Amino acid sequence: MYVSIFFCSRPLIFCPTLHRSRWRKCAARVFGSREKTRRRPNAAEERNVCHVAAPLTPLSNMAGKAGKPSRPRKADKDEEEQPLQAVLVADSFNRRFFPITKDQPRALLPLANVSMIDYTLEFLTSTGVQETFVFCCWMASKIKEHLQKSKWCRPTSPNVVHVITSDLYRSLGDVLRDVDAKTLVRSDFLLVYGDVVSNIDISQALQEHKQRRSMDKNVSVMTMIFKESPPGHKTRCEDDDIIIAMDGKSKRILHYQRAQALKRLHFPMNIFHSGSDEFEIRFDLLDCHISICSPQVAELFTDNFDYQTKNDFVRGLLVNEEILGNQIHMHVTKDGYGARVSNLLMYDTVSSDTIRRWVYPITPEANFADLEGQSCTHSRHNVYRETGVSLGHGSQMEENVLIGRNTMIGANCTISNTVIGANCVIGDNVTLDRAYIWNRVHIADDVKVKQSVICDNVEVKHGVVLNEQCVLAYNVVVGPDITLPEGTVLSMHHPDEEDDEDDDEFLSDDNDVGYRKDKTKLKVFNPAEVGSEGKGYRWKTSSLEDTEEDELAECIWGEIDFRFSQFLTQSYKISFRNLGKQLTSLLNQFLYHGGKFYKSLLKKWAPVFKNYVKRPQDQLDCLASMEEVFLERETHWAALVKVLMSMYQLEILEEEGIMHWFNQGSTTDKSQQLRRNQGLLKFIQWLQEAEESSEEDE
Amino acid sequence: MMFCCESCCSFVLQVFGMELQAVLMAAGGGSRMMDLTYNTPKPLLPVGNRPLIWYPLNLLERVGFEEVIVITTKEVQKALSTDQRLKTDVKMRLDVVCIQEETDMGTADALRHIQQKIKTDILVVSCDLITDVALHEVVDLFRAHNATLSMLMSKVHEFTDTVPGQKGKKKAGEQRDFVGVDVTGKRLLFMANEADLEEGLVFRKSIMRKHPRMLIKTGLLDAHLYCLKRSVVDFLVHNKSVTSIRGELVPYLVRKQFSKFLNTKNATEDTEKNQKQQDAHHNLELLSTSKEEALLQLARERSCWNDHRGDMSEAYHGGKLRCYVHIMEEGMCYRVNTLAAYIEANRVVPKLFEDPPIHPTAVVTERSLVGSDSIIGPYCQISDKTSIKRSNVGTSSTIKEKVKITNSIIMNGVTIEEGCNIQGSVICNNAVIGRGADMKYCLVGSGQCIEPEAERTNEVIVGSDQLMEI
Repeated sequence: MYVSIFFCSRPLIFCPTLHRSRWRKCAARVFGSREKTRRRPNAAEERNVCHVAAPLTPLSNMAGKAGKPSRPRKADKDEEEQPLQAVLVADSFNRRFFPITKDQPRALLPLANVSMIDYTLEFLTSTGVQETFVFCCWMASKIKEHLQKSKWCRPTSPNVVHVITSDLYRSLGDVLRDVDAKTLVRSDFLLVYGDVVSNIDISQALQEHKQRRSMDKNVSVMTMIFKESPPGHKTRCEDDDIIIAMDGKSKRILHYQRAQALKRLHFPMNIFHSGSDEFEIRFDLLDCHISICSPQVAELFTDNFDYQTKNDFVRGLLVNEEILGNQIHMHVTKDGYGARVSNLLMYDTVSSDTIRRWVYPITPEANFADLEGQSCTHSRHNVYRETGVSLGHGSQMEENVLIGRNTMIGANCTISNTVIGANCVIGDNVTLDRAYIWNRVHIADDVKVKQSVICDNVEVKHGVVLNEQCVLAYNVVVGPDITLPEGTVLSMHHPDEEDDEDDDEFLSDDNDVGYRKDKTKLKVFNPAEVGSEGKGYRWKTSSLEDTEEDELAECIWGEIDFRFSQFLTQSYKISFRNLGKQLTSLLNQFLYHGGKFYKSLLKKWAPVFKNYVKRPQDQLDCLASMEEVFLERETHWAALVKVLMSMYQLEILEEEGIMHWFNQGSTTDKSQQLRRNQGLLKFIQWLQEAEESSEEDE
Repeated sequence: MMFCCESCCSFVLQVFGMELQAVLMAAGGGSRMMDLTYNTPKPLLPVGNRPLIWYPLNLLERVGFEEVIVITTKEVQKALSTDQRLKTDVKMRLDVVCIQEETDMGTADALRHIQQKIKTDILVVSCDLITDVALHEVVDLFRAHNATLSMLMSKVHEFTDTVPGQKGKKKAGEQRDFVGVDVTGKRLLFMANEADLEEGLVFRKSIMRKHPRMLIKTGLLDAHLYCLKRSVVDFLVHNKSVTSIRGELVPYLVRKQFSKFLNTKNATEDTEKNQKQQDAHHNLELLSTSKEEALLQLARERSCWNDHRGDMSEAYHGGKLRCYVHIMEEGMCYRVNTLAAYIEANRVVPKLFEDPPIHPTAVVTERSLVGSDSIIGPYCQISDKTSIKRSNVGTSSTIKEKVKITNSIIMNGVTIEEGCNIQGSVICNNAVIGRGADMKYCLVGSGQCIEPEAERTNEVIVGSDQLMEI
């Protein structure tokens, strides 16, 4: 395998426009047998060649795809097939990469000196996608600009890229609702994030998906792609742990859960009633965040406006499977590579995997993004050098090192497992291990860096030591002679400033949680944190490995805020019935999360409820919908009293309403049982006494 | 250690004889097929004209056991010593241990009862097992992994034939067993009945971390064949509350595989000693027995072999207690514990014998028609113009002229008069079917007389005393 790379990499440098087709030919020679199975890339290749000979305008290019262009050998049923489309979400809708992403959207962060979105687009193109919709929100203009300059927007690109931007996207759900509203997709499409790095051959999964859909019309709506990686594997990080129960034969997903915060994994019995006698419970899978979706997926997101994330969607679909009849299937790849750079740990892992060539054929020296001057050489021990690199006397590049163009490295440096960007200057006696250094960074003499990220234009002064998992965001200056403890995050943005400046709704999800107290602090650089000549503010250290608690809270806050504002914007047009539905889903969430946050959430919601729960009938409706929720979950009956109590205290419900509801003739056995609940009886008794005593007072 | 061919068998014999003691459980009452077992104890029910107990005995003898401990009742013991066929066929030494029928002993109780006789690891077989399994598969699992328990399972058979006395189709809502195995399909990780799982399946994450891919299978038949460490018998001796192997002991062992207490050894011992004295005592009991010899431990440390891939932790994740299961993908495996299974076994088993379908001592007239898929026992008399298809006829039965028998089981000493038509039925010992009777899908109990010209369909005909009993 490696030999062939050497063989074909050389001509590519001289002939960048042709390198794709060349590479394919080489690959075809190496994997002769695979050529037949990979028809789509072949078609792409032919077109590519054709365009090089006689360039077409993008318009005619598209027309050629839809119609019947000069494809002499392939006049079969492939013709009728729609070109494969993809939806690329170039926004993460979370803040795991903060504070780095305050200056640059995540999709544009360099990974082995190439923007992450280029990896994703390369993957899509090589699986045969011919039309990609890129949805951006945060810093959309930067992404757009990047794409316009890239090879994807050249007329020769086999993959037509459309950029769609809006400030209103707050989640994956919004994006897909927009896809549905604009009716962008015509048939099955791929759904990926802008930070997915992969070389998986989708064609088999796609075929299976199509087969399932043709056998059972509109039953299977989604095929999720997973990579096998057992616990302890490098590409696994705790956050992304998922547990899946699937049907052993049909590969249908029966249960999908994020296992990160769970000690015990619980599988409801009804998933085993599907008539199959073989099930698999899998904890060895990594979600590649690549899914093959049918157009219904977008419609389903429109129908259920409370679906925000893919997780919501999958779980909602599985829970309602019996009602809606939609199924989700899975495809597990063993030898492909696919991972999402979802946090900095994954950034570390995926970077080093790329350099170690696990994502072949996407390797640094392939220069797949076709950037000028980015071509590099690959030598033993995975050492890559771009042009103009100078290395001082006695410096060693041990292994897995990538050095960008025009970077100068001083004498007696030791560099291993490291990526260095372009135009950097590195002094003498520097030790770098697992360091990710971006562009135009200046590192002075006698610096030690271990497993850290150093962003553009950072200056690290003499004698600085960076311990594990440090992040120096854009333009920070550190030193001299300071040792940063493990997990230090420095940024030119003050952690508090988002309160003042950021009115951007997307960012404002958790402002008021923690920072208010030190708002009064003066904004000066603390020399103890950044060194005597340093510039930058220290951020909470936890941001590298988000603790589970925070993450959970954050996601809840995000959602509630969103709904809250949505309600206000809808300006009281909804009926109470709708509100009841909201309440139901809210309650479901509390119960699901163990009821930890219900009080604060209720407080937040109180004004809305108060607005709607005015007449006695409204109170009854509200109570009825609550009852409905609790009847479904016997185990949580104890929580009912708590919720009732809080709502009473918040004056959403009044005692008459509660008493009326309690005394109301209950129709079913179960609701009678609910009313006989010990805690509830006590609460009612307490209410009665309170009422009586207040009457006495009068 | 895969001996598949005949030539190797002698070696296997030797090894089996030394390392394992066979225990045959033949005291069960057959409570799920009372109509059949009312007069004939289950081990003596004829299947393919041999008593049921012959099959497990033969299975053990085939792999070379020279001695077997048979736990059974007085009645069966008597039959064992008198049955000529058993005597000539079974060369093994039978060490018969009788237990009283009334005491209602479970299988674990029975093991406790014979603990004095047990010197090595044991192989426990139930008397109603008919299988052509390569037994070494089960034993090899036991040996290779130094397992505490290894057992045999097979795919459940769908019984398609109509069963006498059964109204309609069998209800589909049968409680299924959920069996969880690891990715190799050998390690037994989980076992529970649907009835106990109303709350859903729950696994600890730590188990999933060790075995990230778990296959959950339903539709498996437990063959009730277990290899058990000697220490388990000692454990039983100390835990008198355990009465049944399948019902209590096996689930307990499967659960205990992941018990922290057992695996972390002495660290927690002191602290928890006070609170869980009793529990600790039991656990220690199991541990002391499954304590591996130092050499074995050393071998594992020095070896690069591992039972799992993915993480780099030691083999078996340091667990001392291991349960394995061999699941038969093909081949035959029946447990004759229901009427349906009994009928099915009778249909399938004759095809496996090499001896002639018609016993030399049977008298079959030339003008009768006996299909090659039927077997006729010794001293039978088959008269003219009779046709017998897909049926078994037992010893000393008399079948008169113009009788038509299809898909039926005729036990010993049965008399069938002229012109009868018998289809899909089971006729027990010494029954008499009157002239011209038409029996379809019936079960006729021992010694019953059916009046001439009777027409019966889908009935169970047993004596009145027997009915009272039920």
